Parts: sequence; structure tokens; C-alpha cells
Amino acid sequence: MSSPLENLETQLEMFVENVRQIRIIVSDFQPQGQSVLNQKIQSLVTGLQEVDKLKSQVQDIHVPTEVFDYIDQGRNPQLYTKDCIDKALAKNEEVKGKIDSYKRFKSHLLSELSKTFPNEIAKYKAIRGGE
Amino acid sequence: MMSDQFRKVEPYSPKSSPRGARSPVVSRQDSSGTLKTTISLGKNPSIVHSGPFYLMKEPPGECELTGATNLMAYYGLEHSYSKFNGKKLKESLSSFLPTLPGIMDGPGQEDNSTLGSVIAKRPIGGKELLPLTSAQLAGFRLHPGPLPEQYRYVSATPPKKHKSKHKKHKHKDGAPLGQDTPLQDSSNPDTYEKKHKKQKRHDDDKERKKRKKEKKRKKQKHSPEHGGLTPNQHPMP
Repeated sequence: MSSPLENLETQLEMFVENVRQIRIIVSDFQPQGQSVLNQKIQSLVTGLQEVDKLKSQVQDIHVPTEVFDYIDQGRNPQLYTKDCIDKALAKNEEVKGKIDSYKRFKSHLLSELSKTFPNEIAKYKAIRGGE
Repeated sequence: MMSDQFRKVEPYSPKSSPRGARSPVVSRQDSSGTLKTTISLGKNPSIVHSGPFYLMKEPPGECELTGATNLMAYYGLEHSYSKFNGKKLKESLSSFLPTLPGIMDGPGQEDNSTLGSVIAKRPIGGKELLPLTSAQLAGFRLHPGPLPEQYRYVSATPPKKHKSKHKKHKHKDGAPLGQDTPLQDSSNPDTYEKKHKKQKRHDDDKERKKRKKEKKRKKQKHSPEHGGLTPNQHPMP
């Protein structure tokens, strides 16, 4: 069972192929090709109708507008996905680094404070429940 | 005196307070979470710390998901990560859409065909799509013959670049260029025209190079610095 996206992709590819064939016919037109050209033009309309029917199946698919910037520059849109993954990974590593640093700082601070203020830190640890 | 008559006796006034001189116990919402003291006034004013440490707050609730977690693994994106980072992705749009014909790697601003413009200025739609009538199709009756030169190669498929050395050898042997380019459809009239055009360009380039070489030789002959002939030394015809 093909997904709605695959159906839409197939339909669009067929439409583009149709347009390409029309371009070939028109580039060196012969009179006997008129009927074929008329058929192709009608199939353009039916192609658009098919694409229009498929739009309801892909309504829930959201595309980030930043991808369009990549496409408009003639770049592969998969590079956008790759860039997003790279940024997410970098941010994940950054935040993990911060959390680990704060944990190390906390344990270091507690150990030093317990040397200087043993009673107070003992009270603190009792309140915090041995975190 | 007059003011005393009109003074209302507040239920929580110090004079009538059941707690005496101490401040009334009124529950106040502590939004900062830092107030751990009770201030009592009167004969023996005192500040009583109800909590052990100044500014000690309740710790924030434990969260299962933090930045310390490997979020790629958590959301099951490891396969996607290896797919996009394992192999080198090609830069061009045509590598993403290999089956589509036409040149699409250029920026869309050149021919005003950007997706951004479609979003910014939405085309007018909503009309029903109907097949064309025979009267409407009559408008598509064309004159026989090829297209004019300026419309012929618009959005044609770009020739694939080959980096092999064999191409040079073939040039030297005089073999036609068209044999190297892969054909999508051998019966396609466009490819014949492309071959023709490439050969023409190749021939033009050769001629230009020849002319340049001849000019250089002439200059070298006439300039004394290069050990060439001076005007006095020209051989007699």
C-alpha cells in the first residue's frame, strides 16, 4: 500500500513527463502531431485534477519554510534535514556539558563546604534527603 | 479625641489581638519561595527563622528528560542520523530529483520561479479544473517546423560532465563528442541537436586556438627581444 506522499510524487512525475513530451512535440512540430498534442494537453488537465484530488490526503503534512530557501538556491533539501540534525546534536552536547559541569561544581562545592561548615552541611544534607 | 470616635476597631488590631503583641498569623502566598522567617513585634521583637538556611528554596521537580539524555536515541533518530551523516550528501537539487528533466540547480531568482514567491504571493485558485473544449483546443493549433533559435534550448537537460582522460584522446583522434554523453532517449530529436551544437562549439574553440597561436608566432617573429627577425632581416621574396 503506497503512502499518500508516494502517490503524489508519482502523479507529479507523470505530469512533468507529460510536459516534457509536449516540449519535444512542440520543438519540431509536424501537422500529424496535432491530435497527439491535443491529447497531451487534455492529459495535462487530468493530471492537475488528480493532483488536486490528492491534496486532502497530505493536508496533515507540514513542511518547514526554511526548506524552501534551500530549494530556491538549487540545493538538496536533505541538506536542511542534515543541518537540523547537526544543530540538534550540537545543542544536546552543549546542554549535557553544562549539566555535567554544574553537577561537578555542586559536588565540589559541597565537599569543600562540608570541610569548612560540617554541621551546617550535615543539616542541609538531612533536609535535602541525601541528594 | 474626635478621631477616636470614628476609628473602627479592626479585628486584628494590636489592642484586640488574641495573640497579644505578636503579628497576626495571616497566611500569605510566598511566590518567591524564599520567606522562611516570621517577624514578631511588640515588647520582645524578634525574627524567627522558620527554615534552617537563608534563601533556601525547594528544589525544582525531577524531570525524566533533560539535555543530558541522548535525545537522538530517546526519539529513535539514530537511523536517520547515520543515514544523513554516514554518507556524503550531494549539494545539488538535481541529485535529490534524478528522474526529473531540466536544469534545476540554478537559483530560482533568475527566472522568478522560487517557492518563496509562491508562498508570499499565492496564485489565485479555487476554480474548477475542466477539460478543454474543442474551441479552446483550436487555440493550440501550431505551425509546422522547428522552434526559433532563442526558444530551443530553454531548460534543456544539461550535459553530464565526464572527468575521464579518454575524452581528450578521442578529441585528438577526431571522434565526435556526442558519443560520450549518455542519452535518455536515443530517438529524442533534442539529443541530435545537442550533439550538433557541441561539435560546433568544439570546432569553434579549435579555430580560435589556432588563430591565437598564429598571432603569437607572428609577434614572436617580428619582435627582436625574442630573437626574431628585425625588419631589415626579413628574407627577400
